[in-house]
Amino acid sequence: MADPELLLDSSIRVWVVLPIVFITFFVGVLRHYVTQLLHSDKKVALEQVSDSQVLLRSRVLRENGKFLPRQSFNMRKHYFNNAEAGFFKKVKRKVVPKNPMTDPSMVMDMMKGNLTNVLPMILVGGWINWVFSGFVITKVPFPLTLRFKPMLQRGIELLSLDASWVSSASWYFLNVFGLRSMYGLILGQDNAADQSRVMQDQMSGAAMAMPPDPNKAFKSEWEALEVVNHKWALENVEEDLMSRDLNFESSS
Amino acid sequence: MASVSELYDVGWEEMRDKLRKWREDNSRNSEQIVDVGEELISDHASKLGDDVWIIYEQVMIAALDCSRDDLALTCLQELRKQFPDSHRVKRLTGMRLEALERYDEANKHYDAILEDDPTNTAARKRKISILKAQGKNGEAIRELNEYLEQFVGDQEAWHELSELYINEHDYGKAAFCLEELMMTNPHNHLYCEQYAEVKYTQGGLENLELSRKYFSQALRLNNRNMRALFGLYMSASHIAASPKVSAKVKKDNIKYAAWAANQINRAYKVSHKPRPSDTGTHIATVKESANTNCCILGRGRPSTNVGFSIADADM
Repeated sequence: MADPELLLDSSIRVWVVLPIVFITFFVGVLRHYVTQLLHSDKKVALEQVSDSQVLLRSRVLRENGKFLPRQSFNMRKHYFNNAEAGFFKKVKRKVVPKNPMTDPSMVMDMMKGNLTNVLPMILVGGWINWVFSGFVITKVPFPLTLRFKPMLQRGIELLSLDASWVSSASWYFLNVFGLRSMYGLILGQDNAADQSRVMQDQMSGAAMAMPPDPNKAFKSEWEALEVVNHKWALENVEEDLMSRDLNFESSS
Repeated sequence: MASVSELYDVGWEEMRDKLRKWREDNSRNSEQIVDVGEELISDHASKLGDDVWIIYEQVMIAALDCSRDDLALTCLQELRKQFPDSHRVKRLTGMRLEALERYDEANKHYDAILEDDPTNTAARKRKISILKAQGKNGEAIRELNEYLEQFVGDQEAWHELSELYINEHDYGKAAFCLEELMMTNPHNHLYCEQYAEVKYTQGGLENLELSRKYFSQALRLNNRNMRALFGLYMSASHIAASPKVSAKVKKDNIKYAAWAANQINRAYKVSHKPRPSDTGTHIATVKESANTNCCILGRGRPSTNVGFSIADADM
């Protein structure tokens, strides 16, 4: 027999479920604007810009080198890869490993990130838990095991209550993640209210615009360029072209 | 003078949208921009909201092109009031000084920007264009080379350098710059064609062969590029006419040249479609079109005007 269905007071819906949604949403929007205010421009070093463009050029050479005459391609490949004087062999950048603790800009960034994202989440979550305590809000549509009870049913000490019934704190967390797409609609893409993206950023942090170790990038680019062979795309271009009459109709 | 909105019966939103389109296309129709933009800012500035600043910038640069110093100064002053410390506005100040030929002051402005922000590409490029305006081609080339060493990816700069080299008749280096452009934009038929023309001008059997190949490539990318078609014809016939080539090469090139000539004739016919019932005038029109030497040019040319002649190159 299925568990008896609980009938919840409909005022729970009006006074708890909806307010939590609104609170989460507005706190998110607020976070977005606060982040924009605190945002500081990152200054890029000339060398970094230059290096990233050089790497881009080398990659383009690998991909589109077949459109250049053989000699030009070899000249450029030589420029990059020559054993003594090639760019990737000769240029070694001084790598200063950025110690996260002492580097002031990174410390500031971390602090700002914590302030605008983690702190509000904890504060609001705790407040909601305190205000809306002592009753269940909603039932999740899938069955959960008993292990989830202490997590999702804060403040309700009922041993026999099905673990699918959850309290307000879990509804709050559901909202935090669920409203991401709403933020995208209203604030436009790339907004600072998107917490999960921030968490992703923190994890992949070092892989930003330019890897902090250009030497490694140079080495991998050198290897990639070594193996490329020049197969001229224009070998048979005349035959291809003259196989049919030219099309003079306007195409655009 | 009737205002633009009266002449063309457009509202201010359409004018604003037109300006945005020109901004995105990077079209340099400065007189039109000045006409439309001037009216927009004088009559409808409040309705534009935050768009007004970018329109100020656009109109100011157009005004400098048309020698409208008064308008340029007004725009600049508005921008300076709103963004007092901006590098972008400083660059505009420098541009105005350039237009007034006060090159030393302009240089000082750009140096100040670069001191503050060494990665600012706009200021560097303006300094190089000052050198070009003063006619110091050699120095401009040198500075541009240094700039490109740092910023290898700047395609505008590569194109500018190729034009400077062509003016100095240093075709080998110009070819190198165009190769960079072809590499990054393999599907742009104009770069292929320009490269082919430079190779043709350099002369020599090998270069002529290369030029023929690249003319064909340009044609393959865009069938309507008449210049490339003519180039193909010229290069093929020159190779065929050269005494040093083998018989097979000669035969091949004669075939290519004949095909190209055939296509050119077809193109003339296509451009003047005769009325179906009137075959008499058809012959007359074809003769006339052959005489008037009209060309069905492909897409618009890029900004450089490669002014060398496709005359008889040395063999």
